[in-house]
Amino acid sequence: MGRKLIRHPLYVLTMTAFVFFVVTPLIYTLAKTFFVEDSFINNVRLLDKELFFLLAKSIILASVIALFSTITGTGLALLLYKTNIRFRSFFKIALLLPLFIPPYILAVAWKDAFFVFFNDTSLISSYFGVILVLTTVFTPLSMLITGSALSNIDSQLEDACLLISDYRSLIFKIILPLIRPAIITSFVLVFLFSISEFSVPAFLGVNVFTTEIFTQFSAFYNHSLAMLQSTLLILICILLLFSEKRYIADAPFLSMGSKGAGNSCYDMKKGKILGLLFLPGWFSLSVLVPFTTLFVQSFADGTTRFIQAFELLVPAFVTSIGLAFAGAVLIVLTGFSAAYYQSHSRQGKVINFLLLIMFAIPSTVYGISLIQFYNHPVFRFIYSSYAILLIGYTGKFSFIAAKLTGNAIKQIPNSFDEAAQIAGISSSMRKRKILIPLIMQSLFAAFVISFIFSLGELGTSIMLYPPGTEMMPVKVFTIMANAPQSLVSAMTMIVLSITLLIITAFYFMMKPFTKKYRYALHKT
Amino acid sequence: MPYIKLNNIQHSYKEKTVFQDLILGFQANQISCLLGDSGCGKTTLLRLIAGLEIPQAGEIIIGNKTVTQNHSILVPPHRRNTGFIFQDLALWPHFTVYKNIAFGLEARKEKHIKDTVFEALHTFGLQEFAEKYPHQLSGGQKQLVALARSMVLKPEILLMDEPLSGLDVKRKRKIIDLIKNLKQSRFSGNDLTIIYVTHDHREAFAIADNIVVLADGKVQEAGSVEQIKNAKNEYVKYFLEY
Amino acid sequence: MNKIHLIIAIFIALLAGSCETGSNVVVVYTTVDQIFSEPILKEFEKETGIKVKAVYDTEETKSTGVLNRLIAEKDNPQCDLFWSGDPMRSIILKNKGITQPYRSAMAKDIDPAFKDPQYHWTGFSARARVLIYNKNLMKETGIPLSIFDLTKEKYKGKVAIANPLFGTTTFHIAALFSALGDVKAKQLLTDLKNNDVIIATSNGDVKKRVVSGEVSCGLTDTDDAFEAMKENDKTGFVFLDQGGIGSLIMPNTLSLIKNSGHPENAKKLMDYLLRGETEAKLAKSCAQMPLHKGVQVPANIPSLDNIIPMKIDYDKTSKKLDDIQDYLKEWAEN
Repeated sequence: MGRKLIRHPLYVLTMTAFVFFVVTPLIYTLAKTFFVEDSFINNVRLLDKELFFLLAKSIILASVIALFSTITGTGLALLLYKTNIRFRSFFKIALLLPLFIPPYILAVAWKDAFFVFFNDTSLISSYFGVILVLTTVFTPLSMLITGSALSNIDSQLEDACLLISDYRSLIFKIILPLIRPAIITSFVLVFLFSISEFSVPAFLGVNVFTTEIFTQFSAFYNHSLAMLQSTLLILICILLLFSEKRYIADAPFLSMGSKGAGNSCYDMKKGKILGLLFLPGWFSLSVLVPFTTLFVQSFADGTTRFIQAFELLVPAFVTSIGLAFAGAVLIVLTGFSAAYYQSHSRQGKVINFLLLIMFAIPSTVYGISLIQFYNHPVFRFIYSSYAILLIGYTGKFSFIAAKLTGNAIKQIPNSFDEAAQIAGISSSMRKRKILIPLIMQSLFAAFVISFIFSLGELGTSIMLYPPGTEMMPVKVFTIMANAPQSLVSAMTMIVLSITLLIITAFYFMMKPFTKKYRYALHKT
Repeated sequence: MPYIKLNNIQHSYKEKTVFQDLILGFQANQISCLLGDSGCGKTTLLRLIAGLEIPQAGEIIIGNKTVTQNHSILVPPHRRNTGFIFQDLALWPHFTVYKNIAFGLEARKEKHIKDTVFEALHTFGLQEFAEKYPHQLSGGQKQLVALARSMVLKPEILLMDEPLSGLDVKRKRKIIDLIKNLKQSRFSGNDLTIIYVTHDHREAFAIADNIVVLADGKVQEAGSVEQIKNAKNEYVKYFLEY
Repeated sequence: MNKIHLIIAIFIALLAGSCETGSNVVVVYTTVDQIFSEPILKEFEKETGIKVKAVYDTEETKSTGVLNRLIAEKDNPQCDLFWSGDPMRSIILKNKGITQPYRSAMAKDIDPAFKDPQYHWTGFSARARVLIYNKNLMKETGIPLSIFDLTKEKYKGKVAIANPLFGTTTFHIAALFSALGDVKAKQLLTDLKNNDVIIATSNGDVKKRVVSGEVSCGLTDTDDAFEAMKENDKTGFVFLDQGGIGSLIMPNTLSLIKNSGHPENAKKLMDYLLRGETEAKLAKSCAQMPLHKGVQVPANIPSLDNIIPMKIDYDKTSKKLDDIQDYLKEWAEN
């Protein structure tokens, strides 16, 4: 083991840094809460039957959302990646829009839309509303995951089936079983996102486990109970992941391309009206309704609101974008190191487990942990600077980056590395010249996703941002309170446009690189 | 005195034992074929010699140097002066043919890399493909690139893992001839010991000086082509019938 | 390599940019909406040259960020001055030993009822709890004048109130418990519940529902009421129980944080905020009622002289709050 550690010094260094900067604060705070400030037994006594009932309700709710998102996402992916349906390139991009803005903004838009259409918001202020909003938010994620699996299916397998059977059994007997790992990954991830989602149920007034944790924090100031409840939530997530570990490990989580060359497409036959209606139907539901509502609202008071919104956001632009950029770099570095380490060492599993915990933990708990640990004269340089936010982002999103890059690394045959090893090429050179170029697309995808998530991160940022600074999501959120709806909608539209603009810019900046390495995507 | 010696090798993956106390030697400057069904341990044997895997016990000696002993690597893969042709060839898909061949030379900071690479391209008949990428080549061309890539580094041992699977007879023939002539090539330095893994006895008969028949991690028979053809061993007889 | 340099440069810029530490700063955490508090803090900065580093939060999010941050930072406070939108949060911090007393000369003529007896917090500019209503929807039923009217059959399902576990609504309910006694107050809440009162997520949500016509009326704060009237002329508001227990008055409060880094600057900022001029500005921007005498305010801003306030002790009400919170949670969730 000692020899192995020395073989990966950079990774050990990165992982040690992650454990120290990100994980230690959490352990420190949990230990302090449970064992120093009060006894653990006293804490456990606080858990009552109703709490477990609520937990069960939240689990069911998250399962329903995960199920709906996965079914819808898989359906959309089948249409977009396996048929020649019209405008599919447009839909592939357009359907992703709900991923780019914070869920609570969508919840606001939906509630307003319901009021306009039905003159009543009681329908949406319910479990139904939470399911509706979160399903529209997470379906694009499912679509991405299953879509990438679909484009990886070897067309020979499909052809072999078509020779003896029809399209129906092709889908149900061949395609769906083949992408089962991706479907399970999609379900588990959406479940994890949904069960830790706070803003949407809170806004719609639905009581779930996360809002209960929030109530303990904000109404009762009972930190230890809130921490204990969060631990329960983390346990649920870990149990789920462990039970499906095998599938998650194998699933092509958002893998970019590879083997796509052998992919085949099918004609949309007549009589597939259901399929034809499904795509524009879902587009209208998940994109047109909320975004039109936001758009109309933002122009309710003419363009002056846009100018006002812009002026309010300007001081936050540079900070937020710079931070999200730096955050994404750190996240990709951590994610890549974790994924690499995991694929080369047994200890890697522990790292994956730690990444997951940091991902699943509620923002408020994480924020408080970081404050309690870093608010110490020794760490002044971290706590009073933006470094604390970067630590926050890295903890929250490295899991996703590790999944993305990990899957890409798995798709690179070991022999590529071994061939270079025998030729006497050093370990660092092998990484720089062979591994990294070959997984460049996935690294880029991980970077963009980390950037978007960091740019919109609110829960931890609002607890950690250094006094006297401004950040976009915090600003939108704090302005929301007493500002007219038109201003809030205008701010949202501006944030969305900026996000899309930056992603497009990244895309074009990266194009020469991905073009250079596109050969990696073909079968050799 | 064999050039490559494996003494009392024990090796296993998780539950499955691959080798139990294997003893085997390969003569210098010969082409030795490892013949056997899939899963008999042929590839593992090559990887052990190359140093890509560490046996649980036993020692491996190359020349007069012990390279692996008692579950530890004494000489790392790139100092064993071996070349390895992987079953999937492992051509780096994002490098051109030229770069695939030059990469190892660059890492060794050799002089006149360009000349060496072009000479190799010429030797293997690949001049016109220098700027092509692996996916633009046919199966046979890829195999030649893999060979060229290994040979420019002047290995003393060339380990080949079923390099000709999936080729038609004509191309197989051509490459086999090339392999046989490698020993005369200026890329081989003075000595070249080749260990060639295959499950096809005809291929083995066509190129080998010596043949080792492996089954269940044990040597069933070893000897010259003639000796193998006339072997009494039941398994070998059975194997040669198909 | 240029890219690597660029990335390193961004990191250094980010760390250096935020690290500037001068002694002439004051760190303030506030739960008063940024849109109102920021201009005032900026003017202080301009007038005194002391750099104000602020952390904003909003009542809409129940001020979790700021309050939990203050509690978590207790052992090594970063904040110098806490500017709260209501006394309750200051009282929580006082009870947790996070604040320190400061008796500002600027608050001399403010009614002692709006100050902590030990000067851990000092009140200024006040809001009141009011009932806002949608004029169109109130024609038939008439405007309620007492909180007890809201339990009448004719308002069934037409009244909204924010979640009583959070913010000024909690304080309002606790004040009712103080003023009415437990039995009467619980009866009132039960009656409201039986009359299908709608529990909104926040005061802002109450306002939104009234303006849109989803409900006829709702309990909220004066600033929300004025905001609603600015947005649309079909909204009105009324101070309830002017013939009875009176309306709840909630001042802004300021608290010095114990062991903070810049206590002198904090006192300067506190003195500055406690001036009549600040109250005048807050009256103009968000319809708050000055506690100093003789402050110039816009004509439409009500004066505390004309309102019958609910007579409560803020400290005791805050303690009451602790007692009834479990009951409120039960009430709100079931």
